[in-house]
Amino acid sequence: MKALRVAFFASIVGSFVAFAAALSCASSPDENRLTQAIVPDYDTYVATVDTYLTRRCGSLDCHGQAGRAYRIYSREGFRLYTIQDGALVSGQQPTAPEEQRANFQALVALEPEEMTRLMARQGENPNLLLFLRKSLKLERHKGGPAMAEDDPGYRCVVAWLSIPVVKGDGTPIPPKDRAKLSASAQRNCTEAASFP
Amino acid sequence: MQKRSSTAGAPLSKARALSLPGARRLCAVLCGLPFLATLAVSCSLDPVHRAGVKNLGTEQSNLYPPESEYHRPGEPCALCHSAAGPANSDYVLAGTVFWGPDKYERRVDQAYVRIVGPEKTKKCFVTNCNGNFYVTSEEYKNIKFPLLVSVERVNKPGGKGADDEKSIKVRRMSSHIGRDASCATCHILGLRDFGSPGQIRMFDTEGEVDAAKVPLASSCPNDLPRETLCPEDRL
Repeated sequence: MKALRVAFFASIVGSFVAFAAALSCASSPDENRLTQAIVPDYDTYVATVDTYLTRRCGSLDCHGQAGRAYRIYSREGFRLYTIQDGALVSGQQPTAPEEQRANFQALVALEPEEMTRLMARQGENPNLLLFLRKSLKLERHKGGPAMAEDDPGYRCVVAWLSIPVVKGDGTPIPPKDRAKLSASAQRNCTEAASFP
Repeated sequence: MQKRSSTAGAPLSKARALSLPGARRLCAVLCGLPFLATLAVSCSLDPVHRAGVKNLGTEQSNLYPPESEYHRPGEPCALCHSAAGPANSDYVLAGTVFWGPDKYERRVDQAYVRIVGPEKTKKCFVTNCNGNFYVTSEEYKNIKFPLLVSVERVNKPGGKGADDEKSIKVRRMSSHIGRDASCATCHILGLRDFGSPGQIRMFDTEGEVDAAKVPLASSCPNDLPRETLCPEDRL
């Protein structure tokens, strides 16, 4: 009986050791491996979407924080301290182009593979993006629902994501040849940018 | 020996099952769980929260009456005044209003702090003589974020004169409050940098404060008559 018990405990301890060993033996990341992502139209993002997202999501107590995967820089919130010798102060200078670029990169890099798939199907079914699932609170979001499917902000973002950046055969469409936002989408973006 | 042998066989195994370490362990676990639950509720097991509270340091009794409504101006109130404790009361919103960006001792007594919620709910609160205001969950039921905030200080709050309720200064927050109950989480005392716009202030420079000849409380707490309701809440 005692031998059986010893064997039982030994097997449990053995499994933990084997599990820990398996974790520690994982291969190191390959620094040369790149994931090429197809990203939405940058010019439209800068012209119409960034203002809304920075105002809606970028306050210092939400995504205007260094620790966030979706990290937002803006005049009203967190500032990019690696530019202008760290002189940008929250609430003072206008949002810098480098900050808008960083915001775009943070957004598209949240799920590069999912974003690529979304762009490849030309924006169809955008709610598969974690970024929108969280905003709509289809998935847990600490800040609660930040968008609704019938509000102008959501419609603005979806219209932006629907701009084709690749053709059906996967050929990239140059930025100058890409479609522009429709008049109603523009109106939604303008209204959304006045948030709150 | 005789007694032990008399309980041999099947009845003995049942008796053993209940009396031996297995049953004791079960009992210990059942007794221990409520104890651990009580421990978890009574003190914060979150190391980040614990470190945040510890970093506030001790109370400065030379600057304010400790553990009172006047204490720790400019510090993140809801860090302690939350479900995680250690304070007994929970605040859904709290902060301190200063006259300028730098001087700790120049705080705004009887400022009207107006809050607008997403469903157009409006509330107004008045700061005490140390510039502190706080909102409990009873005072603002079902609070929802984001919130818009403005702060106003009038010449003589509650006065009956023609110019008494005339504004000295109104300040509106350019963004909104996303979800944090403590103003000082973002509005860090005396700091303006890439991650903080600085303490909540009526004027952007101390020179403007001097020029405006603002009323400053000579001592706090004091027995002077004071207004505790915003104009829209007075009967």
